[in-house]
Amino acid sequence: MRQPSDTARRVAAVSVGLVLAAGAAACGPKDNDAKGSGGDSTPHKGGTLTVLNSSPQENFDPARLYTSGGGNVPSLVFRTLTTRNREAGAAGAKVVPDLATDTGRPNKDATVWTYTLKKGLKYEDGTAITSADIKYGIERSFAPELSGGAPYLRDWLVGAADYQGPYKDKKGLSAIETPDERTIVFHLNKPEGEFPYLATQTQFTPVPKAKDTGTKYAEHPVSSGPYKVVENENNGEHIVLERNKYWSTATDAERKAYPDKVDVKSGLDSSVINQRLSASQGTDAAAVTTDTNLGPAELAKVTGDKDLASRVGTGHFGYTNYIAFNPTVKPFNNIKVRQAISYAVDRSSVINAAGGSALAEAATTYLPNQKSFGYEPYDLFPAGKTGNPAKAKELLKEAGYPNGLTVTLTHSNAKDFETSPEIATAIQDALKKAGITVKLQGLEDNDYSDTIHNVKTEPGFFLAHWGADWPSGGPFLAPIFDGRQIVKDGANFNTGLLNDKSVNAEIDAINKLTDLDAAAKRWGALDKKIGEQALTVPLFHPVYKRLVGKDIRNVVISDWTGVLDISQVAVK
Amino acid sequence: MSGFAGFAVRRTVAAVLTLLALSVIIYVVFYATPGNVAQITCGPRCSPEQVHQVAQQLRLDDPLYLRYWHFLEGIVVGQDYSTGTSVEHCSAPCLGQSYQSDQQVMQIILTKLPVSLSLVIGAMVLWLLLGVGTGILSAWRRGRLSERVLTGITLAGLSTPVFVIGLVLMIVVCGQLELLPFPEYVSFSDDPEQWAWGLLLPWLTLALGEAAYFARLTRASMLETLAEDHIRTFRAYGVGERSIVGRHALRGALAPIIALNANDFGSAVGGAVLIESLFGLPGIGQELVHAVNVVDLPVVVGMVLVIGFFVVLANAVADVLYALADRRVVLT
Amino acid sequence: MSEALVATQVPEADASGTSGARQFWRRLRAQRAALVAAAVVALLVLVALAAPLLTAIEGQDPTTYHPSLVDSARGGVPIGSFGGISGDHWLGVEPQTGRDLFARLVYGARVSLGVALAATAVQVLLGVVVGVASALGNRWVDQLLSRIADIIVAMPLMIMALALLAVVPGSFPRPVLVALIIGFVAWGTIAKITRAATLTLKELDYVSAARLSGWGTWRIARRELLPGLAAPIITYAALMVPANITIEAALSFLGVGVKPPTPSWGQMLTSANVWYQAAPQYLLLPAGALFVTVLALTVLGDGIRTALDPRAASRLRVGTGRGQEAKS
Repeated sequence: MRQPSDTARRVAAVSVGLVLAAGAAACGPKDNDAKGSGGDSTPHKGGTLTVLNSSPQENFDPARLYTSGGGNVPSLVFRTLTTRNREAGAAGAKVVPDLATDTGRPNKDATVWTYTLKKGLKYEDGTAITSADIKYGIERSFAPELSGGAPYLRDWLVGAADYQGPYKDKKGLSAIETPDERTIVFHLNKPEGEFPYLATQTQFTPVPKAKDTGTKYAEHPVSSGPYKVVENENNGEHIVLERNKYWSTATDAERKAYPDKVDVKSGLDSSVINQRLSASQGTDAAAVTTDTNLGPAELAKVTGDKDLASRVGTGHFGYTNYIAFNPTVKPFNNIKVRQAISYAVDRSSVINAAGGSALAEAATTYLPNQKSFGYEPYDLFPAGKTGNPAKAKELLKEAGYPNGLTVTLTHSNAKDFETSPEIATAIQDALKKAGITVKLQGLEDNDYSDTIHNVKTEPGFFLAHWGADWPSGGPFLAPIFDGRQIVKDGANFNTGLLNDKSVNAEIDAINKLTDLDAAAKRWGALDKKIGEQALTVPLFHPVYKRLVGKDIRNVVISDWTGVLDISQVAVK
Repeated sequence: MSGFAGFAVRRTVAAVLTLLALSVIIYVVFYATPGNVAQITCGPRCSPEQVHQVAQQLRLDDPLYLRYWHFLEGIVVGQDYSTGTSVEHCSAPCLGQSYQSDQQVMQIILTKLPVSLSLVIGAMVLWLLLGVGTGILSAWRRGRLSERVLTGITLAGLSTPVFVIGLVLMIVVCGQLELLPFPEYVSFSDDPEQWAWGLLLPWLTLALGEAAYFARLTRASMLETLAEDHIRTFRAYGVGERSIVGRHALRGALAPIIALNANDFGSAVGGAVLIESLFGLPGIGQELVHAVNVVDLPVVVGMVLVIGFFVVLANAVADVLYALADRRVVLT
Repeated sequence: MSEALVATQVPEADASGTSGARQFWRRLRAQRAALVAAAVVALLVLVALAAPLLTAIEGQDPTTYHPSLVDSARGGVPIGSFGGISGDHWLGVEPQTGRDLFARLVYGARVSLGVALAATAVQVLLGVVVGVASALGNRWVDQLLSRIADIIVAMPLMIMALALLAVVPGSFPRPVLVALIIGFVAWGTIAKITRAATLTLKELDYVSAARLSGWGTWRIARRELLPGLAAPIITYAALMVPANITIEAALSFLGVGVKPPTPSWGQMLTSANVWYQAAPQYLLLPAGALFVTVLALTVLGDGIRTALDPRAASRLRVGTGRGQEAKS
């Protein structure tokens, strides 16, 4: 008679939620950036920062973390070749050097990337960080024991597809060369102009081979960042970080590291986290969260309270929630049916189900509405705010369904998630007006994830979402629309099963560009071109709103993560 | 005493069989459950080759009976496992390693169990006080205001899900009135006072949800006993009402209360998930839910066995108490 | 009461079976509180059955979204006082969706009461059969059944739900599945109570007497034990109905609850939880409905118990301490 909670569901949802999983939980102000709440808002060193989270920081090993831009808490301990610019808004979507002196020097066709390490880099024990350690860190991320990271290294490095990591294969990866202690060279099997973005991920963290303890490394990873791990209880349920005295601002322009100590507590219910932050009692006054947003109910309360409202940070993470079609399933093989549904969708009720206009912005493009992605606004099947059922009926008639039709919408049963029953019901209600009867098929979350990512079982009509591995069109469009990324016998993300030669060719052409601004423009144009095929119905981009404790200063929220950057926060 | 020794032996054998049956059921259920374990462990973007490597690593490709045999073997003789850089031994009784984190399941249990036990034992004291107290009052002082108020509270506790009671209590008591700190688990050995303060609200919440059962049961059983012949005889002999209720009627109510309490105690060790999640108490229940969601079979089996152990233990204790309370009962 | 007395009395009561039923109704009618409770329960059932009619009178249905009735910028809180109560929406609207709360509440009653009552029936049936069998059977039967009950109690609902999900096809009607899952998961306690009560009864004089006079186990169970068990079982069953309603809420989290958009009180409570401060009536409506149901069922349960077991009626007077002489 006492049963599992919605927290558990939420936790589960997040853990399967691709990119969001490890580091990119989010919040922060776009409009009221970088502002503390106290009278004197100048940040000072010292004090203890408390982090109240719902999901534990599991598997705290740089090889296993799946982060966007190195993550939030992980980035306090792990430095990488490059990192995200720690500035608010769009400036924060840029990639900047971290351990390296620059963001990487490509050869002519962007297949070879060379990095030089800064001088004087040290681990928490005072020993020097070398380029061989970075190579070793990348190699160990290939070990099946330490799986979990993003797929790009395996896909891009020469000869990496079959590599099983340094424990089984002592020879190592020949695609990475370390001619001297400060130089590291990467050989890629195809041009990748966005390699500097990839180098922000925690797999590019140096790991001293002598200190590697395999699967036990997560208990005490060796720090290269401003803080070292002094306590890691029960696989990241409670992590305590203290200053790493060998870290210095002389080699790190990005991390401010104001507090002396960071205490990360997790396993809390999201409503409790928000209650505690709003009450700000005791140590909670100097607390933030890196994974819990304000929900709609809490937002309704916070907006009526001046003090609380001033402590809310708003941020935008590159993320899109959409309806996906599988064009090999009838009647979705007919583009007119797909278009009809695009016209019939009522985005305002979907947005309300997702938490209202403050927590979700209507999406008509697949790419997130940010400059770094190359966002080019378009609305190919204008449904207005509340849908255009008349136009949808017309299209259905042309498609041969003058009396409407009945379809099944597959979604996850996970609560409070973008693919949840609430969103599905909103769509069901809207399509009714266009004569489309929607039956709902709710699946248990793991089942849902297996079903939609398997070409053999993929349903015709389902809810999906995609988040940015880094703020660019590449990791957003390529996995979903590149025909060569269709996986027949494993997890497939090209759910529209699109294999269009011109799209594939354009993806290759953009990947060659090392001018990231020029690349962004072309990603935007490609997005619009793919949009014409109506393989998805973009629904909304989420907005992250989060509370901070009353003593928190220097809240910086970038468009890269959409959440407050914990390396910038001060408690004094 | 030989009767008790026989009882202990029989119960131990039965307990082992019960726990084995539980573990078999879990293995079978998880075998039939959707969710690609290797893919979940490896990560959503792993390639088929990587997934295959992980599956081999975790022995997921072995037939079910072999995997189960490996599990039994671990309990009896321990297991060797690789951390990648070295091979380590997990000594018997070894429940294996988590698929997700490579932690020892036994280690996880040892960290989670004190939290769950702290929660359930404290709550049990409260639900017995509140429930049995209300039950006695309502059997003995029917219709009085105190009885009505207490009955109302216990029924409200029963009819409102714990996550509602817990959250509302927390918002009011901790957030608005600031009477108590927000619940947090501090280990008893670190600071007994903080331990109690941090758990007070969870105890109360859990107890409120349970008390009504005890109140109703106590009341019903006491009314039953009060009408029995010997009570009337006592009354006729002029034995005081207080003594009749306290000594004799309550004694008759003991058996069902003990039975119910054993049941609730056992299942609450793993079943207080809602409370653990809401208040962020890192106990067995919360871990179990998480493990089920990520299909972490070794952890699930470990947690269910712990819960099973306490259910079995609580029932055995209940049978002993029951026999002590009622000499007519023979331990079987 | 001597053994001889019981032995002669029992067959007599047996012979007058019909008058027993009449007596029961007479005794039930004599209790005012029980009658009120019965009326409330009847009303709840009626509301549940007449849900389509009631919502038709109101002019609403439980699934239509009304985005214009909620304030999207403030998380979707209903516009207007008391959660948007108006002539069109008698109890206001649901936050975020704007669905009519009255319609959802009365439709929710169907699912919640139906599932909870059906599940309770399954639990009582299983629990009583297992409990009596293990109390009356030999040591092996008792051990086996008690250990099976242990397994059921130890197996968390999550796992049971997963197990059933794996074997039950998706087309199987959900409310029935939910009732069955709850029924099969939570009969352990009632089995324990029945067993304990039966063990006590078994030792009582009149049952021993029946046994001595050579009655079979089944006949003893039916004639002598079940009436004695009725009191604790009915008392407990009255509490299981609301508990089952909250289990149904938990099941919907696990993906085996009733499918949306079908409303249920449990689901309403779960999603209303966080709205306690911003839109209190959203939480108070299902919580209030559930409380009234529990209260009515409890009082009615007491009434039926008293009516079934005439000795209890006199006991009640003893219990008040007003000092009447008890008699049976």
